[in-house]
Amino acid sequence: MAMQTATADIADLISRCSLRDRQAFRTLYQRTSAKLFGVVLRILRNRAEAEEAIQEVYIKIWQRSDRYVAGQYSPISWLVAIARNHALDMLRARRPPADDLDGALEIADAGPDPERLTASSQDGARIEACLAELEPDRAEAVRGAYLDGYSYEELAQRHAVPLNTMRTWLRRSLIKLRECLTA
Amino acid sequence: MSEDQDRKGDGGRSALVAEYVLGLLSPADHARVERQIEADPALQAERDFWSARFAALDSEFAEVPTPAHTLEQIEGRLFGVAKRPGFWDSLALWRGITAGALAVAVAAIGFNLMRPGPDVTSLTTQLVAALEAEGSDVRFLALYDGTGAVRLTALSGDVASDRDLELWAIQGGQDPISMGVIPVNQRSVVELSEQVRAGWGEGSVLAITLEPKGGAPEGKATGPVVALGEVHQI
Repeated sequence: MAMQTATADIADLISRCSLRDRQAFRTLYQRTSAKLFGVVLRILRNRAEAEEAIQEVYIKIWQRSDRYVAGQYSPISWLVAIARNHALDMLRARRPPADDLDGALEIADAGPDPERLTASSQDGARIEACLAELEPDRAEAVRGAYLDGYSYEELAQRHAVPLNTMRTWLRRSLIKLRECLTA
Repeated sequence: MSEDQDRKGDGGRSALVAEYVLGLLSPADHARVERQIEADPALQAERDFWSARFAALDSEFAEVPTPAHTLEQIEGRLFGVAKRPGFWDSLALWRGITAGALAVAVAAIGFNLMRPGPDVTSLTTQLVAALEAEGSDVRFLALYDGTGAVRLTALSGDVASDRDLELWAIQGGQDPISMGVIPVNQRSVVELSEQVRAGWGEGSVLAITLEPKGGAPEGKATGPVVALGEVHQI
């Protein structure tokens, strides 16, 4: 119950930001900045960059607050996504502009129709159960990509496998995950 | 590439969208897949599906307090509150005025003069400015024709559909005066208000900021400066 109230409060603060309520922005910052700073710090692994990033993240939150649609997303997930994507953009800007999409597309057909997604995409907590069905090191790689923003190169190094092996692992794992999540 | 993709089934497309959401794609592929998602509601459903599912892992991000004064710095950047001598006076901003920009401007004016136009004598009151800034591809050319209006020509730059460009006049040490929202990618004419005309002339600065649709709330710039330039007599 307390959790639901907190969620509703954050949704309310975001919508008040879209009405240019600066006090609401201040309160939103006070309630959520530790979480979002944790996100950018973990992904960027550099305190100075994270301090710059967190400013940009809140500027984006203020500017995009009118795009938040209550009910479609948990409000804190929406904020975390802005922080995470900003940090990933910063990492991506540093990476060489390699192009590997042809490889990315060489995956066999699998999975249900997209129409089935909307009906079954409500229960986000199932991802833990579905990750547990993967081999532990592959589940670990998926988590590393999401939580630490690791690239394929970093994942390959950490798991001591060739780059292409890691790509294949990950893509097959994602297809399995989707099957499990939509089952 | 897109043909290839169409031949692949949902599993491959879904895994690709999942890689996109995870941030695993190279910069070029990331941008490409992003455009495909924007254009395809089915892919948008995939993106939302994966985003919502992975978001269940968000609880694993530990909370870390932000450094002191971060909020004040953000508010300063957004609202210009607190003492903020840095914004319009900052060096980074003025670095945007480059010699190259003026060369472009003068060349363009030269071109302008070759066409039949206003009486040549009116040139004595003509002013020109090239508006651009480092890190931004928004570039405008401004020409003051001596009759109380600035003619603007967009040279380059695109703006997201939910943003507007707003033009400002900065004269002496005064606060910027809004000259209104200006269209992207086309010519426009902006009349000088009394307030702007009072201090208008060589050395005035025109700046363009990125603002919410409809322009800056409360008449104060909130967004980044995407182009600016000093007005010169020609």
